[in-house]
Amino acid sequence: MTSAILQAINGISLAALLFLLASGFTLSFGLMRVVNMAHGAYYLLGGYIGLSVARATGSFAAALVAGGLAVVVLGLAVDRFLLRRTGENHLAQVLLTVGVAFVIGDVALRIWGGDFLKVPVPVSLRGAMELPGGLVYPTYRVALILLGTVVGALLWILYRKTQIGAVVRAGVDDREQVAATGINVDRLFVMVSALASFLAGMAGVAGGAFLTLYPGAEWEILVYALVVVIVGGLGSLGGAMIGALVVGLLDAYGRWLLPEFSYFVLFAPMALLLLVRPRGIAGKDA
Amino acid sequence: MDRSRAVLALVALAAFALLPFAAGPFWMGLATQMLIFGLLALSTDLLLGHAGLFSLCHASFFAVSAYTVAILQVRYGAPTALAAPAGLLVGTLLAAVFGLAVRTRGVYFILVTLALGYVVWGVAHRWSSFTGGDNGVTNVPFPAVGPFRIETHTGYYYLVLAVIAACALAYRALVRSPFGLALRGIKASESRMRSLGYRTGLHLYAAFVLSGAIASLAGVLYVYYNRFVNPVSASFPVSVEAVLMAIVGGTGTVLGPFLGSAIILGLRNWVSSFFELYAAVLGIVFIATVLWAPDGIMGLARRLRERAGVAPA
Repeated sequence: MTSAILQAINGISLAALLFLLASGFTLSFGLMRVVNMAHGAYYLLGGYIGLSVARATGSFAAALVAGGLAVVVLGLAVDRFLLRRTGENHLAQVLLTVGVAFVIGDVALRIWGGDFLKVPVPVSLRGAMELPGGLVYPTYRVALILLGTVVGALLWILYRKTQIGAVVRAGVDDREQVAATGINVDRLFVMVSALASFLAGMAGVAGGAFLTLYPGAEWEILVYALVVVIVGGLGSLGGAMIGALVVGLLDAYGRWLLPEFSYFVLFAPMALLLLVRPRGIAGKDA
Repeated sequence: MDRSRAVLALVALAAFALLPFAAGPFWMGLATQMLIFGLLALSTDLLLGHAGLFSLCHASFFAVSAYTVAILQVRYGAPTALAAPAGLLVGTLLAAVFGLAVRTRGVYFILVTLALGYVVWGVAHRWSSFTGGDNGVTNVPFPAVGPFRIETHTGYYYLVLAVIAACALAYRALVRSPFGLALRGIKASESRMRSLGYRTGLHLYAAFVLSGAIASLAGVLYVYYNRFVNPVSASFPVSVEAVLMAIVGGTGTVLGPFLGSAIILGLRNWVSSFFELYAAVLGIVFIATVLWAPDGIMGLARRLRERAGVAPA
């Protein structure tokens, strides 16, 4: 019983991480109709840069911010110089961003090498803590759940309760109409894209502290984020939350109960969804 | 126009047939790979170029059939006559399951196939008691059916060439059949085809399974060439590279994917001989293809020919 609960917490902490990545992906698709396969590479690069910053300054917070900001710069450049030229051709976007991810992955391999690297965790978050009910659990993972919850709540407030969020939501539903009312859609795109990149880079630092960073991690984490998005429904923030929990918990129990088939566990929700609801839980028909 | 293409195909075939007399083992190996990965690229192009579906899971069928052959031959000592058809069958069955993905379209289809392909990689990678984990399955023998034995790389090269020439002809007939034309119709406008009474979902499903069968055949050819198989064969880069080959060569054609395979594999061998960052170069090829040559080499050739035809010198 205790281990079942521990696995649930494991799953929720992975869900927190996946949500950071998937929310950016799903929002940039919802608003800009852009499929960015480089999201996983953004995650990895953010993590590596955060790692270097953490080693240089010793500050985990600085690493989170630096990893996020570095990816914002890169992400805006990719948007401005490459993605903008593809229009709404998803095939072109996928190939282009896969190319970008290959370049980032290879360059990162030359700089940081092929070993499994771990972002150093601040002393206060090391070790284990006792949760209510006498469970002993790694402090860092609890902090990650908190981070995911706070970011999720902030995004939710931004998306649901502010004027910017209202405009973004309107943009997801009907972009032309929003542009016609005189709102600068381009500026909106830049903001959402920067936010998505920041979340991906920050997720890389946060994830790099417990999943480690290594060549190939960019595709692994991307696929998890994509399953989150598929399950939740493209373009839906709430869907991304539900999807992240589903995928995180399935993965944790899968690794525990069927270690050799843990990836296979991801197949089940997708197959079910394809049979029953091809557009995901919260996805709209478009 | 059609005659010039037929001549081109014959010249290419003749060049490939005569290659063993001119080239050493390295080039023979490269040529075999170009043919096999060309077939894999062709399989993805049945969906992309004809049905308009962008699949990112074809390495799965390729790898699963290769694993089936390798495990049957190496671990159970099955003869080629059993292992090769079994590989083809298992790969195709997997395609029949993954074919569920045609319930989705557009971006969803791309994401779902990517995730499905990843599951196969994960199983190959993790289920080490059966698949051999990262080491894979090694020491696959040359194929031998009854008295017919392949014992040299040159012999195997000719076998691959013959199989692929036959496949290309059958593929050409397929895409020109009413079924192939219906797929083109669906690519152009699915709603119109549906209103004409076509069962578009069924057509796409059939195309997906057929395409998976071709990818499985490529996997069977690959495992006898490579003599071992590991999870890399099932990985995402193999899937996406196959699509890139089809696009670089020119989608919707028979020769294009083979041309693309020759270009990409040639580039890989050339670049990796003097430059470490091959994956980055490949990434730049992706970006450049999207930005400057979305119709590939065959598209460029067509454009040049049209220009020559419109404005005669």
